Amino acid sequence: MAGKSIYEEMKENGFTRRGFIKFCSAVAGAIGLNLGSPTAAKSESGKVVRGLHPANLVSRALSSKPRLPVIWLEFQDCCGCSEALTRSQSPTLVDLVLSQITVEYHETLSAAAGFQAEDAKTAAMKKYAGQYVLVVEGSIPPKDGGVYCTIGGKSSLSLLKEAAAGAAAIIATGNCAAFGGIPKAKPNPTGAVGVMDVIRDKPVVNIPGCPAIPEAFTGTVAHFLVFGSLPELDHLHRPKLFYGNTIHDRCLRRPFYEAGKYAASFDDEGARAGWCLNKLGCKGPITYNACASLKWGGGLSFPIQSGHPCLGCSEPNFWDGGGFYQGQSAPLDRPALLTMGAALAAGAVIGAGVAGANTVQKKSARRKQESKNKGG
Amino acid sequence: MFWTDILAFARGPFFRVALWVFVGGMAYRLVRIIFLGWPADKVPRRGSKLWGALKSFLKGILVWPFIPWVKNTFNCNPVVYLAGGLFHLGLFVILILGTAHMLVWKSLLGFGWKTLPFPIVDWMAAITIAAIVILFINRLIHPVLKLISGPGEWLNLLFVFLPMVSGYVMAHHLWFRYEVIFSIHMIAVNILMIWIPFSRISHFMFYFFSKAIHGADFGKRAVEP
Repeated sequence: MAGKSIYEEMKENGFTRRGFIKFCSAVAGAIGLNLGSPTAAKSESGKVVRGLHPANLVSRALSSKPRLPVIWLEFQDCCGCSEALTRSQSPTLVDLVLSQITVEYHETLSAAAGFQAEDAKTAAMKKYAGQYVLVVEGSIPPKDGGVYCTIGGKSSLSLLKEAAAGAAAIIATGNCAAFGGIPKAKPNPTGAVGVMDVIRDKPVVNIPGCPAIPEAFTGTVAHFLVFGSLPELDHLHRPKLFYGNTIHDRCLRRPFYEAGKYAASFDDEGARAGWCLNKLGCKGPITYNACASLKWGGGLSFPIQSGHPCLGCSEPNFWDGGGFYQGQSAPLDRPALLTMGAALAAGAVIGAGVAGANTVQKKSARRKQESKNKGG
Repeated sequence: MFWTDILAFARGPFFRVALWVFVGGMAYRLVRIIFLGWPADKVPRRGSKLWGALKSFLKGILVWPFIPWVKNTFNCNPVVYLAGGLFHLGLFVILILGTAHMLVWKSLLGFGWKTLPFPIVDWMAAITIAAIVILFINRLIHPVLKLISGPGEWLNLLFVFLPMVSGYVMAHHLWFRYEVIFSIHMIAVNILMIWIPFSRISHFMFYFFSKAIHGADFGKRAVEP
């Protein structure tokens, strides 16, 4: 791998120059590069390419840079993000990740298993120290010494710290790795947390989602590959390029929201006619993700288009953010009748006590006044 | 601390506490007032107190709002009478027949109902906000009102105004990120709920008692001692 550029690798794999340029255009599109004059509007990533065609920019980078080594760790996860990535409908981008970028270690995808795989990881970490991108999928449970998730006898926390030490950048893919996700849901028995909560001395990019949108992940990797830096991030460390807008902002049912036309139940006439799913519990207005614009299955559809409200899976604590099918305006939980009754009773008892004290005081005052009158 | 956390707090624990204070506080006020007692009514009467109270409610809902000009309160200051009326009507429409609020009731009560289309509720909200501004200006310039307005009255206006304006801005997705304005709205609502029992806004409940007592007085047709 040393010395060989990505373009040279691709040529060896049978890519023509034309195919390579097409590939570069796709990458440029995926990371939202604009062909910009100095006065051009900024792209969402905040990058304006001046005087150079975006595809040329990408092709220059890929012709001059070697492949990017990736180490992929899985902790408390369901492997859904990896599954989504391998089933992505944008083959060029998956190629980019799986072939053009070297995935040195991936628990699910690597052919090797057991100690062999562990050895390969250690060797890769040594060889590419300070250069590799660490991808984390799944949450980390530091509780009770990290016993709830161990691989090869090591806790996930120590594995993460070990791998993060030599990483150039860390990408946390999926809600679990980004914010703790489902393992962090109440009562969080394993004390699960996201990567950000454990690693503080390295740049961490979050690509949340359940699963993360494959194009958002590959786009971020492509950005790192082309520019050698991470894309602009929001306050939750998500690339603004993909997480800059809410689902609601780009939703195809938005006009019906504006008109106040809401589907009353799943798959009713309104839902089929494209009415807003607000009443069915849609979390679109507070969910920042690219589902509504990139969509899933090669741009085929996304949950809201298919008639299911957004669950808000790219937001922190989405599992505890109120009922999935309860309107978003509703309070997070329904206060128990017992506590409401207790509040009512407490108010009544205090009221009766104060009123009783007042009556006693009034009576004694009256008595005093009467005896005074008699005396006078 | 991110806005999503603040929102979760405002929709979760803070809302629950506000609801407890609201329910407990109203119970406290009610018990206090009932324990004040009322004098025994030993005067023989020709009319029915119950019917009098009922008639008073029915007139208040079905008659006076449609012919306000026969009332002195209207003729003395029609702008304030209309603003006050529209304000209360607007509050009712928004809180009961607005979709977002119905979903709150549904989550608390377990059942929902049909709501009005958004544009109607939206216009009502605009009218209600305009009405509270008019009532505020009136309180500001009316010589007598100015004299009898303490901090409680001004805070009443503020604590009602904040949820209304934040709700309007939220419904129109203006200026703020949605989770930010949603948090502000929920915090304002929670503050209002805690404030209500200990302020004159508690008239939302005591109004019915005083109306009933006055109605009963009108209806009993007896010589007052």
